[in-house]
Amino acid sequence: MNKLTPSDLEKMHKASSDAPKDWIKVGMSSCGIAAGAEDVFNFFIEEVKKRNLQIEIKKCGCAGACYAEPLVEVSVSGLPSVVYGAVNKEVATKILEKHVISKMLVNDCIFEVLG
Amino acid sequence: MYTKVILVKDTDLKREDKTREFYTHLLDYLRVSNLHAQIQVVRVADIGVYDQGLVLKILPDKIVYCHVQDSDIKRIVDSTLGQGKVIDDLVFKSKAKQHRIVLRNCGKINPESIEEYIACGGYLGLKKVLGELGQQKLIEEIKISGIRGRGGAGYPTWMKWNFAREVESSEKFVICNADEGDPGAYMDRSVLEGDPHSVIEGLIIAAFAIGASKGYFYIRAEYPLAVERINKAIKQAYDYGLLGQNILGSSFNLDLEIRLGAGAFVCGEETALISSIEGKRGTPHPRPPYPSVKGLWGKPTVINNVETLANIPAIVSNGGKWFAQIGTPTSKGTKVFAVTGKVKNSGLVEIAMGATLREIVMDICGGTLSGKPIKAVQTGGPSGGVIPEALLDTPVDYENLQKLGSIMGSGGMIVMDEDDCMVDIPKFYLGFCVEESCGKCAPCRIGGFQMLVYLNKISEGKGRLEDLEQMRRLAQAMQKASLCGLGQTASNPVISTLRYFETEYKEHILNKHCPAAKCNSLVTYTIMGDKCKRCGLCVTNCPVQAISGDKEKGYLIAPEKCVKCGRCVDVCKFKAISKK
Repeated sequence: MNKLTPSDLEKMHKASSDAPKDWIKVGMSSCGIAAGAEDVFNFFIEEVKKRNLQIEIKKCGCAGACYAEPLVEVSVSGLPSVVYGAVNKEVATKILEKHVISKMLVNDCIFEVLG
Repeated sequence: MYTKVILVKDTDLKREDKTREFYTHLLDYLRVSNLHAQIQVVRVADIGVYDQGLVLKILPDKIVYCHVQDSDIKRIVDSTLGQGKVIDDLVFKSKAKQHRIVLRNCGKINPESIEEYIACGGYLGLKKVLGELGQQKLIEEIKISGIRGRGGAGYPTWMKWNFAREVESSEKFVICNADEGDPGAYMDRSVLEGDPHSVIEGLIIAAFAIGASKGYFYIRAEYPLAVERINKAIKQAYDYGLLGQNILGSSFNLDLEIRLGAGAFVCGEETALISSIEGKRGTPHPRPPYPSVKGLWGKPTVINNVETLANIPAIVSNGGKWFAQIGTPTSKGTKVFAVTGKVKNSGLVEIAMGATLREIVMDICGGTLSGKPIKAVQTGGPSGGVIPEALLDTPVDYENLQKLGSIMGSGGMIVMDEDDCMVDIPKFYLGFCVEESCGKCAPCRIGGFQMLVYLNKISEGKGRLEDLEQMRRLAQAMQKASLCGLGQTASNPVISTLRYFETEYKEHILNKHCPAAKCNSLVTYTIMGDKCKRCGLCVTNCPVQAISGDKEKGYLIAPEKCVKCGRCVDVCKFKAISKK
């Protein structure tokens, strides 16, 4: 890999503000993993492949709300970004079917709205 | 396609949850008004507001209404949704909010991707330092920011750096202290796991400031995921030329290496940490000389805490003045707390210094789990103290907490309610320090043990009033004569509980009674005949056959056989067993 120069850094920083894409982020720090985030992450990957959905599944660290792990943040264009808490396979299915496909927020599972 | 979203949550815990009922009523009215196709109503699990009755949040307008009644539905739909008017008497007056600097990227970026960190402005601080600022201006900028060490003691970071910079030496070192050991505290772990590059960038900047060419991450081995992610991050940084020779094309060189702590609490103390890195037994030694002058292998060394380092890139990028605007006159910036114990929303909270403990516990974390009143909040782990409910309105900063007999510490915050005993709590913390004492100096080794003997006596109902005075004397000796911070502060939990809850100690000593029913020796279990349905569940579950009787006559617990395990209380469905 090439060593970075100061101008490369600037370029990488600026290039990132490309068109927004839909994504799902799963909190994968110790607290999330202990609560079952790994299963949820793998489930999303499999289901998205199976259903052929255009959405990216990403990993991230802990956002702080440890009482509600595993935390899953969903950003789909046209809907506010929200964080679902205590996500298991059942909630994950609802997120895909309702939030991602039907563009409706899922009842009783949202812990934080990021706007 | 919906144009608006309404979030609904009943935040009143004292009554039956009305979220569903209100949700249906609101939907009905939307249907009547023919707005149901444009507005989605969603029941949420947490709306970020607590104890404010029924709360509505309207998006994307970000209007929050609280104490909403069924009778308000009509005017909300008609005027707010129909005409875009805000109803003033329902608007929620926003309370304390989190302010995220250290946790800026946690939960946002993939911690295993350096590209995502750079996309969020990562390593631009380093670029500024190498390209524009230079050593002198960098330290000046850190001085303006007023940041103080986040490991607990609160020593100004710029002074540490300046001392080490001024010393002439062929070699200098920087160390990131990630040996987080306070029970209940895990802020550093989350930062290392969630945003490892911010800490690495902070460490590179610190190394540049003092002219160090070698740095160490001292991470406790109990954090395997943090170690793995820091390892990956260091490798990525090397690949990109952000570590190694000629960083970002400059003449500055730095190598980073990880050292694992073997699980000793005292190794979080800087001189013990240095010994541990040198491969020696992890015991502290007297200061001065301070590590900034004579540290690792006798060379000038700067040791900074994870949270301090994670602040540095943000300070450099935004300027010291920006940072100095946040917080109180003596304590600048924000502090991350790990709020645990009997609290509804346990987790990490980052607030600007100067917020009150009550705001943190009640407004951000939603109050106690049980709904019972708060008795006290413990800050600073085993080196800190308890702060009683009456003083929770004190703004949090280094000086204020010290005045109250506690410390800021690394950021553990444990919430206690009426069920916590103020003799039992210091017993736990002191027990921890006695276990973790390295044994090198007598005040800590012997003093701590003796004080624990007194505490045990009191909790067993064998204490005497003179013991309280004796404990105070012991504490003074430990504070004055111990070699390192562990011994000097080990008595803080005892002294602060004695200061605020002396009556509770006396209740244990004089009346042999534990008000919180925690101290087993002073508690008796009895079956209340009027509530008992004679199901016999307690009899089958008692591990020592201390419960006798039958379905006709009822049951009795034999106090001489009872081991006070509490099993019967847990299994009784009718709450017929009292614990007093």
